[in-house]
Amino acid sequence: MKFVVCIKQVPDVASPIQLSGERIVTDTGRLVLNAYDASAVEEALVLTEKYGGEVHVVLAGPATATETIRKALAMGAESATHLKIDGELDSRGYAEILAAHLRAESFDVLACGKQAQDTDAGLTGSMLAELLSLPYAGNAVGLDIVNDRLIVTRQGDGGQEIIELPTPCLVTCSNDMNDPRIPNLKGIMQAKRKNIQVVEVEEPTGPPATTIRRFEPMPEREPGRILDGEPADVVARLVSLLKTEAKVL
Amino acid sequence: MGNILAYIETQDEVCKRSSLEALTRGRQIAEQRGDRLVAVVLSPEPERYVAQIARYGASTIFMVRHSLFANHLNTPVLAALEEAARRAAPDLLVFPSSESVKEILGALSIRLDGSVLPDVAAFEQTETGAEALRPVLAAKFLARVRAEHKPVLVSVRSGAYSAEEHPVEAQAEEIPFDFDPATLKQTLREIRAPQVGTVDVSEARIVIAAGRGVRDERGKQLIEELADTLGAAIGSSRAVVESGLFPASSQIGQTGKVVAPDLYIAVGISGAIQHVAGMAGSRVIVAINKDADAPIFRMATYGIVGDLYDIIPRLIDQLKNG
Repeated sequence: MKFVVCIKQVPDVASPIQLSGERIVTDTGRLVLNAYDASAVEEALVLTEKYGGEVHVVLAGPATATETIRKALAMGAESATHLKIDGELDSRGYAEILAAHLRAESFDVLACGKQAQDTDAGLTGSMLAELLSLPYAGNAVGLDIVNDRLIVTRQGDGGQEIIELPTPCLVTCSNDMNDPRIPNLKGIMQAKRKNIQVVEVEEPTGPPATTIRRFEPMPEREPGRILDGEPADVVARLVSLLKTEAKVL
Repeated sequence: MGNILAYIETQDEVCKRSSLEALTRGRQIAEQRGDRLVAVVLSPEPERYVAQIARYGASTIFMVRHSLFANHLNTPVLAALEEAARRAAPDLLVFPSSESVKEILGALSIRLDGSVLPDVAAFEQTETGAEALRPVLAAKFLARVRAEHKPVLVSVRSGAYSAEEHPVEAQAEEIPFDFDPATLKQTLREIRAPQVGTVDVSEARIVIAAGRGVRDERGKQLIEELADTLGAAIGSSRAVVESGLFPASSQIGQTGKVVAPDLYIAVGISGAIQHVAGMAGSRVIVAINKDADAPIFRMATYGIVGDLYDIIPRLIDQLKNG
């Protein structure tokens, strides 16, 4: 099967991220492959290693995102497309750009991370499915292929739903489905020779549907207190505080 | 005067609390603006929920009936919500931010040619659309985001608003919906639900959450007994889902569910940012951890430094026997 995986470059959420006025300042050295997308790449590689096929990645982002594309290639993807854009887009903007490109591409499975770690919006996947009229499933925690159909285990509200999809289809992946491989030296060397097709993309005209006006710090919680003392006494005080002070029991 | 459409999800014969919270926010905005509040419920037997929805202030209730709605499947849900939205022609649509809604929200916004504010902690309607506060970057920051293309679809994080009763005389209307299951491309083959009777973690007022400190079956039993004693739901961190002690449906965090109960008791949880992203909105947080330096203590209302295998049995005893 042919997998196309949509990937995004995001700030590393574990790196120091500061607020400067109303804007976020990220250390540009710490831009990484979105963790959910890394799981989608990993799962596509596992399935093609098992059943045959190929993995191609597509990234919409600035010139500086090449490093993130190389990471996916070093993991084992065969080739990549870089849809080059300058500014920041909202989910709809990304979905439109990806859809415009993917309409002309052939694939069996289009895989995306279920959300991107920078915005946690989780919209682009299902927007893309709708724009391309593909059957889809979201929040996959497991994938398999049986009789040329994709079997998706998705984490729903109450339990896990096992969905069978015909191809071509789209699936959005949770990072709970695997631990993405760390590229080895051989993979990194090979990635340098792999083909990245660069496409200059016209950004959607007109104002975006949603705009980030500003960032704000999370409101601080009231400072709490540590209850010290003998365990029996501490537990009695806790229950009493929950009843009389916090009034939650 | 415009319309606001609120999507109501149900479970075990009742409307989900997260849906009633979003409905309540919709009702407040409808009152401010003199808008009409329309609720839509999809079910094999939607009339079961009409009285409850009316108690929370929706003056019009769209009932969409289909046997397929016994389980979640995105295609019929999308078709039904598209139809409801065509009829209500709302400026604003409000949703609970559940896994089922997350799966369809983007697709629905394309069908309705609207803009979306997903997973918000708060929102207001504006002249041109809506504005929301959204936790971003693993809930380290809030982004103030504006949507200026109507209709605006907003999904509301569990616990962001309280569900308030506001009874009205409601008109229930059945929406014709003749979805042919034969047209479905995807098939739902199986549902693996955790044991029946357990409280859904995103619906509960009290959550007991287990982390890495819960090492074994004995620890799991303590968590279950404490949850039973308090009528609480059980949540978990990624570590104990991966170890197989707790089901994935209980996972709380950036990857799992977002909860904001009245009382969150974190047992053996260190407080990694990915976990905190899913529970930081809880009203009262109790942390029980052996490690006095665990980051969870920085956000705990009350903290106990101690071994959970010692503390939890005492806590259960104290709650039962006072």
